[in-house]
Amino acid sequence: MMTPRKLAVKALRYTLIGILVVLAGFPVYWMAATALNVNSQLYGTGQVAWPQLQHLPDLVTELGNVPIGRWLFNTLLIASGGTVLSLTLGALAGYALSRFKFHGRGLVGFLLFMTQVVPEALILVPLYAMFITFGLLNSLWGLILANVGFSLPVACFVLKGAMDAVPYEIEESAIIDNCPRFSVLTMIILPLIMPSIAAAAVVSFFAGWNEFLFASTFLMDRTLWPASVGLASFVGQYETPMSAVLGAALVFSTPAIVFFLLIQRKIVAGLTAGAVKG
Amino acid sequence: MPALTFNKVSKTFGDHTVINAFNADIHDGEFLVLLGPSGCGKSTLLRMIAGLSDITSGDLLFDGSVANDWEPKKRGVAFVFQTYALYPHMTVRENIAFPLVMDAFRKWYHLPIVNIVARHRLMKRADIAERTLGIARQLELEPLLDRRPASLSGGQRQRVALARALVRNPDLYLLDEPLSNLDAKLRTQMRSEISALHHKVGKTFVYVTHDQVEAMTMATRIIVMNKGIVQQVDTPDEIYDHPANTFVARFVGSPPMNLIPASVGNDALQLSGKLAVDHAAPLPSRRHMTFGVRPEKLTLHPAGEGRLPAQVAVVERLGAETVIGCRLMTGEENNDQRLLEHDLVFVRVSGNPKVRIGELCSLDYQAGDVLWFDIDSGDRIFPGQE
Repeated sequence: MMTPRKLAVKALRYTLIGILVVLAGFPVYWMAATALNVNSQLYGTGQVAWPQLQHLPDLVTELGNVPIGRWLFNTLLIASGGTVLSLTLGALAGYALSRFKFHGRGLVGFLLFMTQVVPEALILVPLYAMFITFGLLNSLWGLILANVGFSLPVACFVLKGAMDAVPYEIEESAIIDNCPRFSVLTMIILPLIMPSIAAAAVVSFFAGWNEFLFASTFLMDRTLWPASVGLASFVGQYETPMSAVLGAALVFSTPAIVFFLLIQRKIVAGLTAGAVKG
Repeated sequence: MPALTFNKVSKTFGDHTVINAFNADIHDGEFLVLLGPSGCGKSTLLRMIAGLSDITSGDLLFDGSVANDWEPKKRGVAFVFQTYALYPHMTVRENIAFPLVMDAFRKWYHLPIVNIVARHRLMKRADIAERTLGIARQLELEPLLDRRPASLSGGQRQRVALARALVRNPDLYLLDEPLSNLDAKLRTQMRSEISALHHKVGKTFVYVTHDQVEAMTMATRIIVMNKGIVQQVDTPDEIYDHPANTFVARFVGSPPMNLIPASVGNDALQLSGKLAVDHAAPLPSRRHMTFGVRPEKLTLHPAGEGRLPAQVAVVERLGAETVIGCRLMTGEENNDQRLLEHDLVFVRVSGNPKVRIGELCSLDYQAGDVLWFDIDSGDRIFPGQE
């Protein structure tokens, strides 16, 4: 039997949670509601606060005028390509930093850290010059490389931290069992740090998913744009079709939300791993 | 089976020497225990045999061939770690089968993703599955085969680690304090099981421990180490009855051997500086030395009946026997309130002799049970052979 005091505390807790859910969810709702409104209402005073489904065909027609599918595919390619590359190289580099003693190990760690201190905008011009030299301008692969430059150090640090927590004896045991070094990493260490891999994957994926600055600078061809640049292109000098912008934003957000929901359980374990002595 | 030879093997970490010019032979089929206190270098030695630690200088020979640079897999050893080092993400079955699966792996099986498929396919191969099951049955692990290590007790994990070591049928088993994480009862049980296992497989076991009871009960030979230096290599009986020095005398035996400073003046023996004792046997031909006698070789008597007057300071009743710690009555005992084990003389008697702390008593010994040690170096000395 719950006492009135406990009941009150529980009610208060759920009320607070409800308020937070509304605060967090309202922008998403408003995005959907705006997308299904007509532009004339949005710029006037007659906006309806709920989605008007009868405008859905109009929205679909409007979005059909731009290559939104292609943009989404480009975004997915940039995000997933960057994630795979960051995790692969990050795991190898993290393993080396975690397990091998070599001259300059501290310096490597410091330089990796420094990449996070330098703002993207600062290296935009030198990177542009490099991309011209290497013929990487107007190429999705070039953009993936540029992104990996920023997400790889994060992945490397997250994975190194997780590998540090794996007892060295487990690795030695595998070596005694005739397991080569590379397989020790892939068969023993990586399965043990899955939560951290998931956390690093999320960081890398969203870094690529939200990519805008490099993409808008390095990609001239409209069909190579990611969705973020495509969305920005809706903004006109005299008019911005707000419902189309938010409709495209809704389409753009959905895969990211699905990805996050799929992986979120693992991330929480990864982000808190090593927080307490286990 | 390989015979192992250590030829002046040393190991240093920076300026710190962990093992200093270690010489020893390990024979086929023996159960050799490396015994010593924490930090004496015994685990490092075991890791050097396995190929997990480099040798700084000297040679390690496997059947006469220098094996300093051999990869662990070339040495054909099995290693049981103190923490068991089981693979947490694998079931007991996968843990036990892992060495067999690795032996069956071709080079390209090690490619990422391919290795997952290859491992699952090889797990189902008849010879690997049967061998895994056979070892699991032998160690009573069959009901646990599909569980993960996290859901096992300490003793079960220990058995899985042993099973994984046994499954490849190696020539040499290396065990690094495998019982230290178990409770006392389980430790006793596992001690017997490992001894039985050694008799059954008949292979060479090298076992590291700091527990002298484990060493005495399991070993065919013991190497006692201290600060990276071998103190004595011998059978458990010889090490107990004839310790080479005071370190071995104190380290082996519980309670340890009683070591009392002694001096000889006018052909008479004096213990603890003051206590004159009528010793009916030849004495060492030096003025100062250490008098050693095992607790069970001392006898407890009422006050005045034995040659060594004493006062009871500690009584430890163990059921079948009692260990009594006494302070010798040298005439200065009133000024000496120390109660350290080092300052007491222990006597082990059977049953419960109903003595009380503070009670006066006396101790006695047979002259033939006394061992003599150099007062400075601690080395054993033999009266008449100096």
